[in-house]
Amino acid sequence: MTITAERSIRPERVARGADTQGEPQGWLGLAFILPSLLFILLLFLIPLAMTVWMSFHHWPLLGRIRFAGLANYAELIEDVQFWRALGFTALYTVLVTAAIMAVALPLALLVDRPLRAAGFFRTIYFMPVVIGFGAASTLWMWLLNPDSGVFAQLLRGIGLIDSAPRPLESFWPALGVIILMVVWKTAGFTMVILLTGLQSIPDDLTEAARIDGAGPWARFRRITLPLMRNSILLALVLNVTSSMLAFDQFFIITQGGPSNSTISAVFSIYLASFSSYRLGYGAAMSFALLVVLVAISSIQLTFMRRRPEDG
Amino acid sequence: MLKITGALAAVTLLATTALAGATEATLWVRTSSAAVLEGLAERYNAARPDKVTVTAITAEQMVPKLGAALAGGTPPDGAVLDLIYLPTFAANEGLEDITDFVKSRPYAEAMSPSHIRLATYEDRIYGVPALPDASIIAYNTDLFEKAGLDPAKAPASLNEIAESAKKIAALGNETYGFYFVANSGSWLIYDFLPHLWAADADILSEDGREATVDTPAMRETIAAYRDMWKAGAIHPTSRSGNGNNAVEAFASGKVGILMTGSYIVNLLDSKYPDVKFQVAPIPGPTGGASSFAGGDTLALMAGVDEEKKRVLLDFVDFYMEPENQVYATKESGMPARTDLAKEAYASFDPRNLVAYDVLAQAHTPYTFASDELFVSRTGPFVNLIQGAIFGEDVDGAIATAQGEFTRILERTNP
Repeated sequence: MTITAERSIRPERVARGADTQGEPQGWLGLAFILPSLLFILLLFLIPLAMTVWMSFHHWPLLGRIRFAGLANYAELIEDVQFWRALGFTALYTVLVTAAIMAVALPLALLVDRPLRAAGFFRTIYFMPVVIGFGAASTLWMWLLNPDSGVFAQLLRGIGLIDSAPRPLESFWPALGVIILMVVWKTAGFTMVILLTGLQSIPDDLTEAARIDGAGPWARFRRITLPLMRNSILLALVLNVTSSMLAFDQFFIITQGGPSNSTISAVFSIYLASFSSYRLGYGAAMSFALLVVLVAISSIQLTFMRRRPEDG
Repeated sequence: MLKITGALAAVTLLATTALAGATEATLWVRTSSAAVLEGLAERYNAARPDKVTVTAITAEQMVPKLGAALAGGTPPDGAVLDLIYLPTFAANEGLEDITDFVKSRPYAEAMSPSHIRLATYEDRIYGVPALPDASIIAYNTDLFEKAGLDPAKAPASLNEIAESAKKIAALGNETYGFYFVANSGSWLIYDFLPHLWAADADILSEDGREATVDTPAMRETIAAYRDMWKAGAIHPTSRSGNGNNAVEAFASGKVGILMTGSYIVNLLDSKYPDVKFQVAPIPGPTGGASSFAGGDTLALMAGVDEEKKRVLLDFVDFYMEPENQVYATKESGMPARTDLAKEAYASFDPRNLVAYDVLAQAHTPYTFASDELFVSRTGPFVNLIQGAIFGEDVDGAIATAQGEFTRILERTNP
């Protein structure tokens, strides 16, 4: 009722504002958005156009550049390695996103308390987030080193195992330690996003539910989860996008091995561009990945646009 | 009027000499060689009127950066490159032809033949050796004695290496007979390919345009490695190792035989003086010996300014002088000239001579696709070794490698 009332008032107010100040000045608005427009133009649109342009050429690092038409894209369709890399990236994305959510949601619930210690734990859980991915990967590469790494020494020290584990020599253990590292590195960030959702739930709602006799599980399922929907979706979109673009952890820790089984999509673009030195083909791969990413994101965003009360 | 012209000419002459006196040439160098070349450049700058400026570039970044600089029209005047990239840059018209300079040097005959071969494209020469090194094996003489082997006699074949390795591994107590770095392409070409060359086989044809992966020598070499791996004689970190721990593992006294390079002698002498070791050339499956001629070659970028060209070639003459060769040997382990053993090694560990002697018969694969074929950790060569030695399907691994090599060569051959 109140909402309809307000909506009917709003146009009136706007009209009055226009009367007193004259026409809204379009150029002022443009001036305000100009810096970000410039950034988008310089750092996104122009490179994007160049990528598309390059993808229509045979573009070696050394030597002559030749127009190739759609040859790069035709080759891409038959490139088993690239599709396998996309498939692996999808598998990794599903697993790592599930793992991050499974860790971050309980963490968010834990630190969402009016205690002084909660702030301390929030900081602790968030700390790995501020490390760069490259640095974190290098750190873990050494932690995982079977001869002088901390993990091997620790596990042997407490007598859990006899010989140092070598997880990077087979596929599932290698993927497992990567997921472990990424969860350690990024769960804190997802926790903060979920925390903002949790804290936006008014206390009186939970209280009312409690008075009505709802237990903790029912309150979580019927009140907390539905009202956190948007922050959960935001966390999902961000996690899925960054996982689809994963590179550092595979480039540094597994180096694509064992037998090329952990090559992510971006890694395969890197290999085409900076190992085979085929910049045109790398550009075509980048563009194909962009299309895939835009498709995934738009599906997720359609979910996000739906209001909680519609669902 | 005549006077004025004369004075003007004199001034111009003065100006040009002054300018020439201050000619500064830039040289890109990979990080691992930067210290030695900076040292040599300092000595040069102190001794001559011109100046050579050295810029260190991370090894893996050298090719992309140099390629981008060439494409962008802003290359350095010269670069000290891993010799294996010379054919690629020469074939793409990135390097300056210095054939006449190289052939007219008094020390022309004394330059490492493999470095000159790699610097040659279509009968023109594009580079001179700067800092060579050669791959060798190092073995722990204490462990040899303990295992009842003769420490004075180096294993003469890969099969002998395998037998010795198994005996050393049998000593127990986490002692291993053999260590090689199996998860790094640059280590593998350095330490694995010489087995094939020692048996007069090769993985590429002489001109680098065809793959010859499936040879009896390859199969015998793989069989010997598999034999050692199955017997538990190979250090377990070999499989996933990228070289970070190799020297430390050997220095710990728990490894019998290490596949390594000439730098190991001075490195062990200075950092681990207690290790008792000997070095030897890399043998083939049943005999013979060879080595990978590695290290750096100095090349000039195509279209380099004449004055800067003069400075850099003068710098080459300078570092080839005996006293500077002694300095380079002290810093990096091996002189660029093969006729200076006495001078260069007079005050150093005589074990250095083993690698030095083998350099003249050492090989390097002549290829236009080094990174894609060999160096890349996802490339066909690393996958061949990983699959054929640690995997189950030797035939499959060899067939896959032959196919991948051929596919890449068909695309990259100039």
